[in-house]
Amino acid sequence: MRNYIIKRLFYSVIIAWGILTVTFILLRIGPSSPVDRYILNIAARGSDVESVRQAIEARYGLDKPLLEQYFDYMGNLLQGNWGWSFSASMPVMDLIGSHWIYSFQLILLSTIFAILLGIGLGVLSAVKQNTRFDYAASIFSFIGISIPNFWLGLMLIMAFAVNLGMFKTYYDTSYSIWSLENLRQLILPVLALGTGELAGYVRYTRSSMLDNLHKEFVTTARAKGLPERTVIGKHVFRNAMLPLVTIIMFDLGSVVFGGAYLTEIVFGIPGLGQVSFNAIFANDYAVVVAVTLISTFLVLFINLATDILYTYLDPRIRYE
Amino acid sequence: MHITKGERCCAILTATTLVLLSLAGCTTTVKQEAKGTFIEGDVAGGEAETLNWILAADASSFAYAGYTVESLASYDNNFNVVLRCLAKDIEVSPDGLAYTITIRDDLRWSNNSPVTAEDYVYTLKNLMFSDWLNYNYREDWMEEFGGKKVFVTPEVINQTTFTITRKTVQPEFIYTLYDLIPYPKYISVKYEGDVEKFTQAREFNELSYTGNLGPYKFKEWLKNDKFVLERNPDFFLGKDNGAPYFQQYIIKVLGTSAVMQAALEAGDITYCGIEPHNVAKFKKMDRINVYTIPTRGYNIISYNQRANGWEGLRRKEVRQAISMAVDKETIVRRIYLGFAEPAYSFIPSSSPWYTDDTVLKLGVAPLNSKQKAMEMLRSAGYEYTKNGDKNILLDKSGQPVKLLLVTTPGSDVVESMSLLIKQELSDIGIDVEVKWVQWSTLLRQYMMNKVPGSDQELRYNNGPEAVSEEPWDLSLMGHNTDPMAPSGSAVFFASDGGLNSFGFFNDEVDQLFHKIRSKDGLDKTARAGMYGQLARLISEEQPVDFLTFTRANVGFQKNVKGIEPGINMGYNSYLWRFE
Repeated sequence: MRNYIIKRLFYSVIIAWGILTVTFILLRIGPSSPVDRYILNIAARGSDVESVRQAIEARYGLDKPLLEQYFDYMGNLLQGNWGWSFSASMPVMDLIGSHWIYSFQLILLSTIFAILLGIGLGVLSAVKQNTRFDYAASIFSFIGISIPNFWLGLMLIMAFAVNLGMFKTYYDTSYSIWSLENLRQLILPVLALGTGELAGYVRYTRSSMLDNLHKEFVTTARAKGLPERTVIGKHVFRNAMLPLVTIIMFDLGSVVFGGAYLTEIVFGIPGLGQVSFNAIFANDYAVVVAVTLISTFLVLFINLATDILYTYLDPRIRYE
Repeated sequence: MHITKGERCCAILTATTLVLLSLAGCTTTVKQEAKGTFIEGDVAGGEAETLNWILAADASSFAYAGYTVESLASYDNNFNVVLRCLAKDIEVSPDGLAYTITIRDDLRWSNNSPVTAEDYVYTLKNLMFSDWLNYNYREDWMEEFGGKKVFVTPEVINQTTFTITRKTVQPEFIYTLYDLIPYPKYISVKYEGDVEKFTQAREFNELSYTGNLGPYKFKEWLKNDKFVLERNPDFFLGKDNGAPYFQQYIIKVLGTSAVMQAALEAGDITYCGIEPHNVAKFKKMDRINVYTIPTRGYNIISYNQRANGWEGLRRKEVRQAISMAVDKETIVRRIYLGFAEPAYSFIPSSSPWYTDDTVLKLGVAPLNSKQKAMEMLRSAGYEYTKNGDKNILLDKSGQPVKLLLVTTPGSDVVESMSLLIKQELSDIGIDVEVKWVQWSTLLRQYMMNKVPGSDQELRYNNGPEAVSEEPWDLSLMGHNTDPMAPSGSAVFFASDGGLNSFGFFNDEVDQLFHKIRSKDGLDKTARAGMYGQLARLISEEQPVDFLTFTRANVGFQKNVKGIEPGINMGYNSYLWRFE
């Protein structure tokens, strides 16, 4: 197992380097320039676009040959220097360092919320198949899956912040991350981001549980006189978890890249989603490459963690 | 009538008291109490890029820094100059070549050293004009002389006075001068010559040098979230009146305009822009004041007059006919819900240089007529055929005219306007295909051009023979103008204009731009006349169809006092206060 993990980590570095190189080259050879977004401002001042472009590109070394830029960047990266963000006017490391926590807390809390409630409701729904509870859970999950999280976010803001005045309309960074006020103001974003996932987990858990509930080993366990709680909790649930782990881990990856970003936008949470989105529009290459690199490592780590989790859930799985 | 001695004494005393009180009223201002936090909502994307403003190309960076350092002058809503860091007006020599600037003598940097004329001259010579820093807008400080571009000459006269001397006259150079903000020499010298260190200098990125130069001091900036300023009790304009009156000023970045407006409605922010369709709703709210103000933005349809556009667009009568068919009042009414006004040139009606009577008002009744537009196209030599009830315009080779309109996606206003234009031109027999392309693609493939087969680098105007990579006929875009110095629009409409991507070349227009920016324009009345001629010529030539000048709607919580709504509403923001 140890050798397997070391091998995977080594592959991860190679993959990350490949993705970094491709991202770096694609960004530079693309049609965009950092000056594009200033065109109208330059025009309004009656200034010469070409001279402004040359000034900006010279200042940030973007006028050098691509290969030279690449080796400069890689050299700096190996020394722990992720470059300078010209759209945020600070080192990329500082920019990411001051924003990651906002994404992390949102993703962590919404995932915990979705997993705990989703799996719980799914298990109950399967155990109480074809009851009112099961029907209600099914309807809830269909609605939850169908609602886009940014729309749900806006509706939650209108209902609970604007009309009822229970929350602020936006996330307020003046509160300490570890304060109760912060936890409280995360309720709506977590609901917005977590509801879709939660609904999905209800469906997947229910379906996976039902698959296992009718298997022979469950009949055997019941015939042996095991309490129903043990049958469901130890035998059915553990087996039902295996496909769920894949889905949850896959979801975690997609939440990081998609859902969390939209939720950050709606609630004004200054997380990495916003950072990368703004960097893309500003053609701030250093930030885009850094965020891509972090995301790559995150996905590779999630994949590795999934594989390791399999061995715990199913002792038959072994890696050489 | 008999007045006793006591009564006389009492009357004298009363009169004296009244005189003293009135004198006191004339010489002192009642100080307001500073309180509360003013929160301005801003949509993501509008945030500043740097507080080290000399490196910035975006407008927001200058605006953010502007809360902590005043420029030499500002304007009120009627474009009257309001002096800030000046003790007296900038004196311009009668020949228009020398500018003498005298700054106040009570300005201090954060280390309590005085702000001097040397700081201003140093900022110009050693920073803005330097090769190592590459100031983005250094061309603003250059002039063409003897066939090459040279910098103007700044010179220190004494502690508070410096001069700037030009070799050529440019009457509108004064507006560039008004915007000048100094960098502290005592800090800048440490980084001089090293662009990397200068870019990363903590003092500049945290505005820690700003002393008493602005109403607020920098406190915190969390990118994509908020820019926090705190009251500067030493502000040089606040000595007599206690301004500014907010303890904190925060610019809060919100993800969407819907959320921003919800925040205003809930009272979580103090001020933000309001979209046209929400204005009526906000006007009904007791807690909110809504103001409609002119802006510097306008929309145009550019006509591609280069070789890869429809040949008809190279003819003035055809451009006029098309402009006549597009109803500007419908655009104002249906798309902007009344919050815009028809445009006829790049000079807005709010500009002191605007003349209403000289411009040709195409697209507005009586010069908005499909019938007349079709007649003009017929007289230009184009014929019509019928397809059922529909008229089809034929080009010179007898083929139906089909034009390509390129624009960017993502804006409801642009999408609605594109479809309206398509419909309007369909009514005069022109089929329009609308193509949505991303901004960078629009710039690279449609706006930038070069002479085919040449080794020119792509630019926005590589001369009359140049064409873009992809053919196009019309493009719908938004532009900005400067109402005080609209001659800056030469960048679009002069033959050598760096953004004249649509290929409009007209000697008369070039000459007028040149005259406005020469000693002929020194006399303001003469300049107004030239602007009148230019606006008329541009409105006749129709290099582009000027559609509308937009108006903005802004909402404030009702307890904010001291606001003077207008195009430069923020000029007195240091006097705004909570009731």
